[in-house]
Amino acid sequence: MVERLVTVVNSHGIHARPAAEIVKTAARFTSHITLARDDLEVNGKSIMGVMMLAAECGADVLIRTDGDDEQVAIDALAALVAGHFGEA
Amino acid sequence: MPRILNGIPASPGIVVGPVYRLRWEVPEVPERVIDEGEMPRELDRLHDAFVRAVERLRKVRARAEQHAGPAEAAIFDVQISVIEDEELRARVESVVRQNFTAERAFDVVMLEWREHFARSQHAMMRERVGDLTDVHIRVLSILLGLPDHDPVDVPKGSHTILVTQDLTPSLTIQVDRECVAGIATDEGTRTSHVAILARSLGLPAVVGLLNATARLETGDRVILDGTAGTLVVRPTEAELQAAAIRTKREKRESRQLLAIAREEAITADGVRIVLRANVDLPDDAQAAATSGAEGVGLMRTEFLVVGRATMPDEDEQLAAYLNVIGAFEGHPVIIRTFDVGGDKLPVGGFPHEANPFLGWRAIRMCLDQPEMFKTQLRALLRAALQGDVRIMLPLIVTADEVRQARALLSEASRELTARGVAHRADVPLGIMIETPAAVLTADTLARDVAFFSIGTNDLVQYTLAVDRGNASLAARYTPLHPAVLRLIQRTLDVGQAHGIEVSVCGEMASEPLMAFALIGLGIRTLSVAPRSVARVKQIVRGVHTSVAAEAARAALESGTAHEAEAIFRARLQSEVGPQPLGS
Repeated sequence: MVERLVTVVNSHGIHARPAAEIVKTAARFTSHITLARDDLEVNGKSIMGVMMLAAECGADVLIRTDGDDEQVAIDALAALVAGHFGEA
Repeated sequence: MPRILNGIPASPGIVVGPVYRLRWEVPEVPERVIDEGEMPRELDRLHDAFVRAVERLRKVRARAEQHAGPAEAAIFDVQISVIEDEELRARVESVVRQNFTAERAFDVVMLEWREHFARSQHAMMRERVGDLTDVHIRVLSILLGLPDHDPVDVPKGSHTILVTQDLTPSLTIQVDRECVAGIATDEGTRTSHVAILARSLGLPAVVGLLNATARLETGDRVILDGTAGTLVVRPTEAELQAAAIRTKREKRESRQLLAIAREEAITADGVRIVLRANVDLPDDAQAAATSGAEGVGLMRTEFLVVGRATMPDEDEQLAAYLNVIGAFEGHPVIIRTFDVGGDKLPVGGFPHEANPFLGWRAIRMCLDQPEMFKTQLRALLRAALQGDVRIMLPLIVTADEVRQARALLSEASRELTARGVAHRADVPLGIMIETPAAVLTADTLARDVAFFSIGTNDLVQYTLAVDRGNASLAARYTPLHPAVLRLIQRTLDVGQAHGIEVSVCGEMASEPLMAFALIGLGIRTLSVAPRSVARVKQIVRGVHTSVAAEAARAALESGTAHEAEAIFRARLQSEVGPQPLGS
């Protein structure tokens, strides 16, 4: 299992479209993937879960991946967040 | 069955065309328990419905992208992801295994999720309730064998009249002006979201029809008259001709009114009346300027936050305000801070409230979310460099709210200074008078503010305890009730005693009869919808303030709204001839 703390940097936070991007990316991997913020931990492959994080700009999110492709998975997800989900 | 349905005129114009009936509401799900043997079949039905819902959404998305753009169409990607959500699916399947049918299981789970999101303290979650509701409706409709209804199915060039219960943001995205010629809804009022949208798209609309969706079928031919607020079902040849004649007459009248726009607003006995315009959308500003308005008495800023996925930043807001200020050089532009709530849902929606008009809305919401509010205030302070900007706070009930807002305004100014951004720090701050509390304490409020503007919509509904959004109460919504007249008079007296401007900016001022009544009460500054400016000016030029004042004195002492109205109507008729009924 690997984990990494990332900070949400896009101005609108993980709203609907970024949540869909996270889920789409997570679905490419076989690893078990979770995202956690404060006390709430959710399934990274579930858009309902990711939307429930309500992570606004500046929020810290802990990504955890567990499985054969855990390293590539966590790199891909962290890059997505750091890259503003392709938006401003 | 009557062929003429009466509703509320929401956006002017007359169109003839076929109905497209859009049923967009969560269908009733029959109660049925299943035995174990039926479970595999129910699970298959469930998966089949998911597949079809996703296919359908992909099509809707592709078409919405063509006319609304990729950013707007992305909303459907989110809905697809929700349907494909593995946790959601697992949850529904587990409910099926508790002897529920596929539709019942899906219904139960979606109600649960929607409730959870709607009650969230996070705006980002509440913002998604609309999408969950859309998914709920779509999948259930498929499971129950109900037909698909999406506005994108309307053929191009068909000149269709869209008939629906209410227009949600995701339906709105699908409205293509090449297909849709008019909008008719069961719900809504002149000031609700659908009316604002229809006016901004220039589409004739009638709202508050109560049961148009029940009365009409797709394909029915109708005349939609957004000026009169009627819908004529399967019109006769004579009715079609009459509609054509009315359309011509409207065009002629609007040319005549345009000529009046250049004349001064002075009463027959020489009293100057200041006529300003209400602006709902920046695009209205030009129309408002050509209408002959002397500035903007009320710029609504809700368009910036209603039905959007994200909050606009300071620069986007600034650009919107500058658009309007630019059209009114040398004239005041009064900009009201976000007045969301009630029937106008902001970005993120609202937590469900039993009584939203008495709830967390307008200034209350803004003061509780200071960062959001300060973004707007900073944009306003920057905009004020370019013109005579005045800031107006909605729904004030106590001086505390004014003081808190003023403190945030100072903070906003300090933040801009720290960033080295040029702005005007001493922008006049005024308030809406729209609650009985504000009227009764107007003398103390007057010490803290630069002006009063009476918002008649809310003042009437809070005074008479009549929900203006409830179409069944339309006849009880009486702006000329003596109680309302007395509150207006009292506000004026206080304003005069303190030397601050008192204007009226509600819908009330747009109607000739109401404008006459307001002039009679002593109001000298009115702000009305751009298309009403010329019509009100015509009234102003035709009346004597002495006659109006005499009518007002009698109306203030009358027993009922009907008596008061009869008094004003008789006096106005003696001045300018009969006015069309209902105005």
